[in-house]
Amino acid sequence: MTLQTMSQDVIATAEKPALSIIDYSLSYKTANGLISALKNIDLTIPKGKTVGLVGESGSGKSSMAWSVMRYLPPNAVETGGAIRLAGEELLDQTPFQMADIRGRRMSMVFQDPSTSLNPTIRLGEQIAEVLMRHRGLTKAQAWAEAEVALARTGITRPKEMLQRFPHEASGGEKQRVVIATAFACEPELIIFDEPTTALDILTARQILDLFNQLRDETNVSALYISHDLGLVSRVVDEVSVLHKGVIVERGLVGEVFAKPSAPYTKQLIGAVPNPDRWIGVDAPTDPKTLIKLDGIGVHYGAPSKIQKMFWPEDAEKVGFWGAKDVNFEVRKGELLGVVGESGSGKSTIAKVLVGLQDFQGNLEIEGKTIGSRKAIDRAYRRRVQIVFQHPDASLNPRQKIGRIIARPLKLYGVVPREKIKARIAELLEMVRLPAEYADRYPHQLSGGEKQRVAIARAFAAEPELVICDEVTAALDVSVQAAVAELLVKLQKDTGAACVFITHDLNLIRQLAHRIAVMHHGKLVDFFDRPDARSQDRDPYTKALLDAVPVHTPVEAFEIA
Amino acid sequence: MRNFFSSPTAIMGTALLSIVLFAAIFGPMIAPYDPQAFDPLNRLQGPSLTHLFGTDQFGRDLLSRILTGAPSTVAFGVGATLLGVGIGSIIGVVAGVSGGWVDSTIMRILDGLLAVPDLLFTLLIVTILGGGMEHAMLAVSIAFAPGMARIARSAVLSVRTRDYVRAAVARGESGVYIVTCEVLPNALSPIVVEATIRVSFAIMIGATLGFLGLGAQPPSTEWGLMVAEARQFMFRNPWCVAIPGISIAIAALGFNLFGDALRDALDPKRSHG
Amino acid sequence: MSWGYFIRRLLAVFLVLAIVTFAVFAITTMLPGNAAIMILGEYATPDAVAALEKQLHLDQPWYAQYLSWVAGILHGDFGTSLRLSLPVTQVVGEAFVNSAMLGATALVAVTITAIPLGALAALKRGTGMDLGLGLFSYLGTALPEFVTATLLLVFFAAPQHGLFPAGGFVAPWEDLGGFGAHVVLPAATLGLVLMAHISRQVRSEMSEVLSSDYIRAARLKGLTERRVIRRHALPNSLAPAIAVISLDIGYLLGGIIVVEEIFAWPGLGRLLIYALENRDLPVIQAVTLLLAAVYALSNLLSDIVIALLDPRVRYA
Repeated sequence: MTLQTMSQDVIATAEKPALSIIDYSLSYKTANGLISALKNIDLTIPKGKTVGLVGESGSGKSSMAWSVMRYLPPNAVETGGAIRLAGEELLDQTPFQMADIRGRRMSMVFQDPSTSLNPTIRLGEQIAEVLMRHRGLTKAQAWAEAEVALARTGITRPKEMLQRFPHEASGGEKQRVVIATAFACEPELIIFDEPTTALDILTARQILDLFNQLRDETNVSALYISHDLGLVSRVVDEVSVLHKGVIVERGLVGEVFAKPSAPYTKQLIGAVPNPDRWIGVDAPTDPKTLIKLDGIGVHYGAPSKIQKMFWPEDAEKVGFWGAKDVNFEVRKGELLGVVGESGSGKSTIAKVLVGLQDFQGNLEIEGKTIGSRKAIDRAYRRRVQIVFQHPDASLNPRQKIGRIIARPLKLYGVVPREKIKARIAELLEMVRLPAEYADRYPHQLSGGEKQRVAIARAFAAEPELVICDEVTAALDVSVQAAVAELLVKLQKDTGAACVFITHDLNLIRQLAHRIAVMHHGKLVDFFDRPDARSQDRDPYTKALLDAVPVHTPVEAFEIA
Repeated sequence: MRNFFSSPTAIMGTALLSIVLFAAIFGPMIAPYDPQAFDPLNRLQGPSLTHLFGTDQFGRDLLSRILTGAPSTVAFGVGATLLGVGIGSIIGVVAGVSGGWVDSTIMRILDGLLAVPDLLFTLLIVTILGGGMEHAMLAVSIAFAPGMARIARSAVLSVRTRDYVRAAVARGESGVYIVTCEVLPNALSPIVVEATIRVSFAIMIGATLGFLGLGAQPPSTEWGLMVAEARQFMFRNPWCVAIPGISIAIAALGFNLFGDALRDALDPKRSHG
Repeated sequence: MSWGYFIRRLLAVFLVLAIVTFAVFAITTMLPGNAAIMILGEYATPDAVAALEKQLHLDQPWYAQYLSWVAGILHGDFGTSLRLSLPVTQVVGEAFVNSAMLGATALVAVTITAIPLGALAALKRGTGMDLGLGLFSYLGTALPEFVTATLLLVFFAAPQHGLFPAGGFVAPWEDLGGFGAHVVLPAATLGLVLMAHISRQVRSEMSEVLSSDYIRAARLKGLTERRVIRRHALPNSLAPAIAVISLDIGYLLGGIIVVEEIFAWPGLGRLLIYALENRDLPVIQAVTLLLAAVYALSNLLSDIVIALLDPRVRYA
């Protein structure tokens, strides 16, 4: 089906679409001239339907949302087209008229509820003010209505929640407040801008379910913006794929998944981690223990000696345990996945393993026992390297790439001084970067390239274990896949073991031989990869696995 | 840094600073008259072609006096700041790097010292040391040290938790390497920015001390002292107080604007423009 | 507000003041010149000097002197002025009242003008008004008080046709109009620097708040611009503004020294300069301590106000 027949088709079936964007283009004025953000966009949302807009960062998907809401920065230049809400042209509305439409006829749910709520105003007032503005309710009526709206989002004690300030509510609760606000005036259209990205796996799943439930109840039309093709397939009827400001593909979600036509869509679908497609190295045939964690515990805000002396019974209660009594072992050459939500203690374990965190218990490395952070020596540190989540933060902005990679070579004396330069080139080549990059500064590289440099630095030490702390989380989907594959290749070449810490269950099931699950600082489950779906898994593991959308093309087709 | 000159603050700051520095370096050489030469017939003249800025109560040429006073004024500001920044940064870096009780002890003492207003602090120290330019300079730098220590400490603390510093710790780097190669280069820019802005305060305090008779002594051409000496005659010829006063303002403004522009260029997130 | 927070802050203030007493004592005992000789004159007999030293406890070790000084303060006794032969409490008390009137006038005038001006500049970013305020605020921060004061005198207090008196003081309870006329120029001098600084800070805080996600969210809820500004933006930029004002009280206390000297205002600043010139140790100590205490307490007050404005701090 061509694009044109497609839109004609849609117009034919629903005479007045909730939103229609016709041949819309947008540019931004910058110091380097006009930069095009959106080119000739056509997008139609029929009444009561949800359309997904998928794209990576920089694709222009957020600009699209701002255009529809008529909230563009002063340097935006609209170069043509139309945006119609139920047939009414939005481009012609005055700012004053728009203020009346926003919140009443169309509203928006934002990515991060912790920044989109005013920190100094009670949650109740933040919902009620919309009702007072658009439905002319009195304060008392608005608060009563706000309670009803909040109750609909599944908050158990809405009355109490209304009295709280944003910092007194959890991320999921805050997002429910934002959603309740968006639905409050029963708008015709709601724009969801990555509403689950800032949330934890289980919370995200609940918010997604809530979205589906509210949509069925209210029959609202929605534009759902996301970078996650898999996630979008669970909530939308139709999807448009946006790439560099151009819609490269559109169609029913199942069809797009099953038969992607644009090369970019194919690449995007290919990059989505598929837990059934194994890409890891072969499991070590003769499993030998490399490092053993023996009763590792980390007590944040632990009581001081004086406190312990006078109130020994409180010692357990003061502060909190980032990790408690964690036992497992890492085998030579394997890839061990550690999964958990934020605050589960998975990064705490990473810090313990590389000697960045004081701990209780013992680390055993090939028979040698290490009982405290201070006992970790340079020989150990050479054998265990770490790659951090944000490559922007982990590379010193004032050092050139060559110097960054050379540092472990010099520090540990890996190669003789005169060979350092050659070795840097080799390492860069290993991570598939040109050798000239040695003379660049980190800010001249893209996010994915920077992460490759960080990986090269870790492998420069010729370690036996590399800790990867959410190394793909800050990267775009297509870059993620490439970085994961690179890690596997390096493991194959060097035989190093890897502890891969992540919240992405699909990705880890592609890579890991064994998987550890952490929750509230405790190790709740530990299993071989093939047993992920077996019945004797911990209930928490099961909940996590159920919360994550799995999308082989076939399955996605069934959902649609 | 590339777009440094795109902001009006930066252009103004650089322009004013260039004028001030030019006067400070070449001022005494290009001064048209002897700054100390009396001319009883031409006392308290307004600006004219022979005396561009007019003359003071002894008929001395104001332009020449301003130009010869420039080096000491700028040197005072820069010198006092450098010394204060040096002392303060060392204290701050020590506090930030050591942490624990060393940090909290230093910080408490600094809190106490910061509760005394800068000028009052300076006055006390000048009184201990006795007047004169050198003593005034030392006093200003001591008064600046607590504030600078605080800024240096917070700069170090904000860098200390960055991942590249953690990476260095995890690699097993020595403390000296981490502080000198990873922490300091990145903590430097807020210190430099603050120091630039503080030069303007130092110039102002120095002039104030001169004005109060506690800094430069007659017949010095220090600008604050010039205002004090001409005050009696200000109603007869306002120029003789206005010219040195405005000169002080221009010097202070130049450093202030330049420092602000530097801050914006180094940290685009904090726009103060 | 939780009491724990308040008590912690109060303890911190006391700690600061304790350190200040020590610093002040250390500095003042380092002042050159023997106080006894200064009082009795250079030709005093050694016996008389020794007797006076004993009377002033100058013969005791420094820690004993410090402790008896602190003990005196705790009883409200700051000693006797060496020059004026009056109780320090009385001398400093009068001067403090006079200074407080000047400082308060300046501060109130500045607060009610600088906050709206800064907020307005943030709302009208890039307009002529914004640029004008920017220029004014830079000029204000670059002019030392003595220059501003001198220029104001030239313009407004010339002997023949001056609008205001060139200096002096009239108590408001004697002649309110006279007080008003005398306070305008010194208060304007102090206010200029403060206004420049505070309005600039308010502008930058307000711009930051205005570009925050929650303001965007409030606008996208269709709220009126009036409500977005008054209910969402202003309260959130007020807390940092108050923090800045309380820090600026430090400037004010420094500026007061010069301004009072120029305008012959019989306050703490003038007293301090007199005491410094005459090595009147008890007065120097008392004035310094008082200024530091005012500063520390104003910081405490601002912390409390900020806690009342911002729930995140309140329950921390």
